[in-house]
Amino acid sequence: MAKNRRHFGIVTVLIVICTFVVYWVLDSVLLKPAAAVLEAGPIDYLFDLHIWLIAFLFALVAVFMCYALIVFRARGDEGDGEHIHGNGTLEIIWTVVPCFVVIYFAWISTTMLIDLSRPNPDEYVVNAEGRQWSWLFTYPESGAVTPDLVLPVDTPIRMDLTSDDVLHNFWVPEFRVKQDTVPGMVTHVRFTPTIIGDYVLRCAELCGTNHSGMLATVRVVSAEDFQLWQSEQLAQVQE
Amino acid sequence: MSLFTLGIARGLLGQVLGMVIGMLLTCAVRILLGWEAWAAEPAWTVGAVCSIIGFLLGVGSLDDWLKWTKGIPTPLHHGPPVDKPAWTRYFSVDYNHKVIGVQYTVWGILLLMVGGTVAMIFRTELARSGLQFLGLDLYNSFIGMHGMIMIFAILLGVGGMANYLVPLMIGAEDMAFPRLNALGFWFNVPGSVLLLLSLFVGGWDAGWTAYPPLSARGPIGYQLFFLGVFAIGLSSIVGSLNLLVTLLRMRPEGMSLFRMPIFCWAVFATSLIQLTATQLIGTSFLMVSVQRALGMGFFDPRGILGEVSPMVGGGDPVLFQHLFWFYSHPAVYIFVLPGLGIVSELLPVFSRKPLFGYKWIALSSMAIAIVGFLVWGHHMFVSGYNDILRIPFMYATLLVAIPTGVKFFSWLGTIWGGKVHFDTPMLFVLGAISVFLIGGLTGPILATVPTDFPLHDSYFVVGHFHATMFGGFVFPFFAALYYWFPKVTGRMYNETLGKIHFFIMTPAFWVQTLGQMGVGVMGMRRRIADYDPTLGAGQIESWQLAVTIAGFAIAFGVMLMLWNFFQNAEVGAAAGDNPWRSRSPEWQIPSPVPEHSFPAPLHVVGEPYDYGLADAGYVTTASTGDD
Repeated sequence: MAKNRRHFGIVTVLIVICTFVVYWVLDSVLLKPAAAVLEAGPIDYLFDLHIWLIAFLFALVAVFMCYALIVFRARGDEGDGEHIHGNGTLEIIWTVVPCFVVIYFAWISTTMLIDLSRPNPDEYVVNAEGRQWSWLFTYPESGAVTPDLVLPVDTPIRMDLTSDDVLHNFWVPEFRVKQDTVPGMVTHVRFTPTIIGDYVLRCAELCGTNHSGMLATVRVVSAEDFQLWQSEQLAQVQE
Repeated sequence: MSLFTLGIARGLLGQVLGMVIGMLLTCAVRILLGWEAWAAEPAWTVGAVCSIIGFLLGVGSLDDWLKWTKGIPTPLHHGPPVDKPAWTRYFSVDYNHKVIGVQYTVWGILLLMVGGTVAMIFRTELARSGLQFLGLDLYNSFIGMHGMIMIFAILLGVGGMANYLVPLMIGAEDMAFPRLNALGFWFNVPGSVLLLLSLFVGGWDAGWTAYPPLSARGPIGYQLFFLGVFAIGLSSIVGSLNLLVTLLRMRPEGMSLFRMPIFCWAVFATSLIQLTATQLIGTSFLMVSVQRALGMGFFDPRGILGEVSPMVGGGDPVLFQHLFWFYSHPAVYIFVLPGLGIVSELLPVFSRKPLFGYKWIALSSMAIAIVGFLVWGHHMFVSGYNDILRIPFMYATLLVAIPTGVKFFSWLGTIWGGKVHFDTPMLFVLGAISVFLIGGLTGPILATVPTDFPLHDSYFVVGHFHATMFGGFVFPFFAALYYWFPKVTGRMYNETLGKIHFFIMTPAFWVQTLGQMGVGVMGMRRRIADYDPTLGAGQIESWQLAVTIAGFAIAFGVMLMLWNFFQNAEVGAAAGDNPWRSRSPEWQIPSPVPEHSFPAPLHVVGEPYDYGLADAGYVTTASTGDD
């Protein structure tokens, strides 16, 4: 028993070290796209929390396993190990404790999800239609129809999505959120762009031959530029 | 000896004839209706249905039942065929579960090689951005082909292990229904043939998930794909029924459920899922098939999608996803539970220590099987179904982590305090734990909806499920092959080659799966023939190259294993009856196992995993005297 206690002491120290190392490695190796919407804040926070969990659990199992394999390796003898059939208390602990962890994760995700999908009275609505293999954007306010998406910065956006043919998916990696477009129904996705710049909208649901090339440019512009652009579009529509 | 003494050759001939008859039948009906005689899609569809029946008639899998309808008795034949060489029984209908187990396993390995070859082709394409040698349509067909062939291969591998091992582990003479067992295997052959044939009639470009509307408007290949899956599904259903009855009714005296070898529990849980869920993928694919062939718009919202027949609309594409995933999520547990059972089965043998928390491990398999039915909606977080449904599916999905955690911790408990031997099977078990750990830990981040948004349908998912499939099936399956190879052949494989295989394949797989996840985080979508080289600050191409090289290393490792088996099956060193000093019943009888496995009925006198307890028996074949 005293021997086991020493083992557990060493293992605990190794687990702590290993957790930090794994987290550091994952954090520096994983290259997330830049965050260009408000919603990326909470999503990336939860992502980071998950990376900590992954680092800890990986360390827990990997360290225990590797340590046991080294310490309890058969040293040339043909004997057997200890005759232990299990430990009810331990089993209950490693059933109940993970229960609380997953419920905690589910709970914070639920509140976050509700926040992310809450309608905003000031949201600016753009309709998008996916078709093999391009996008068509309609602006209800101006009646403009464009193949590329132009959005005002710092304005809550609601995309009303549908499809002309098969399933597609609206995804700008910098915007994090993602939503299928389905023929015969309208689906929604909400986000608030925060950084002016050009992004690429990438169809993320297999949609046939040219799925990989089903892209559209997304331009996030300042409020003034957007007004200017909108009046240009309006003028074109009226011609 | 003519080629047609082999059942499989007669079966394939029957399949071709069935196809032709089905096509002629279609033409005849169309002529009677006054339509143009030839229409490719209906002809191929009816032909494919008839071809499955043609195969089964040709191979002779229905012979006994047909004779029964005429009142002709057919006693079960034991042993090799009377007037043919003994090896021909492996190519014909045979009712011995050990033969059927080998048939399943070998056919599974063949499909594994075909599916792996397809993967190597498009992995080479992905090594650089831009299109090198594959066209867009061929690429899209190949990814689905790789997926579905691998699923067939896994189901066959699971069937092989279960059919060979379960009767031996519970000391049964054979499976409960030997004829049904043979039928279960032979469904797989015409099914695989149809699947491969589909590539030559246009392929199918919607991936293995075949979501409509895309799958409702693509080439004819879809019909052969749907019917091929249907045949494999029938195999799953009859096979699992057989295993459940065998496990429940044919255990020997004294073997209570909690005294079965732990692999039997895994097979039991798997079979429950297979028996009750497989119908749903059959239904969903059949509905798309009928939508295409007859214009019933099950999944067609607006009546504009039919190219073959005019459609009326009124259907719902999202409904398909519900039906499809109601099987295809539990299917994941069909693939991994037997593998995890292999891990639990082998760890005590090589740690020389009882399985830690036997009942907890056994019941965790059941818990996974049951909770697995409640989580299908996590594949549909962004599908456009009712937003509120995401929350219960998120909770249910995260719950799967708990019984899975119980397995991991119990495995650690088994190793702790043991005397661990590092033979090749044990190495693959440890590899399985490490890889399944990666797969398991990357699950919750996909289960919580906000973090699923950026990762859904990205390459991260590809990395995640390859880790679960390799950790839950491929590594344990290879462990099982190395472990029971001496039992099946009576010969020992080459230990050095086995270890080389392990030390090539395991690090290569880590690189592959982590690389796939990495490019997914960068923003690469899954199922794309070409990717944006600027992703990940321009690093994506070097990651992709690493993944491709790792893929080839894995393929090399697998070739090494097959060479090892091929070379030593006949001429390897004699293995002896129990080279691993296991307590399990199958190791208490000669290797290779004789035609009638056990000389006398088994009696269970102790616990299965009492390693470390002197003179504790598990089973005995000693006759009790008066029976």
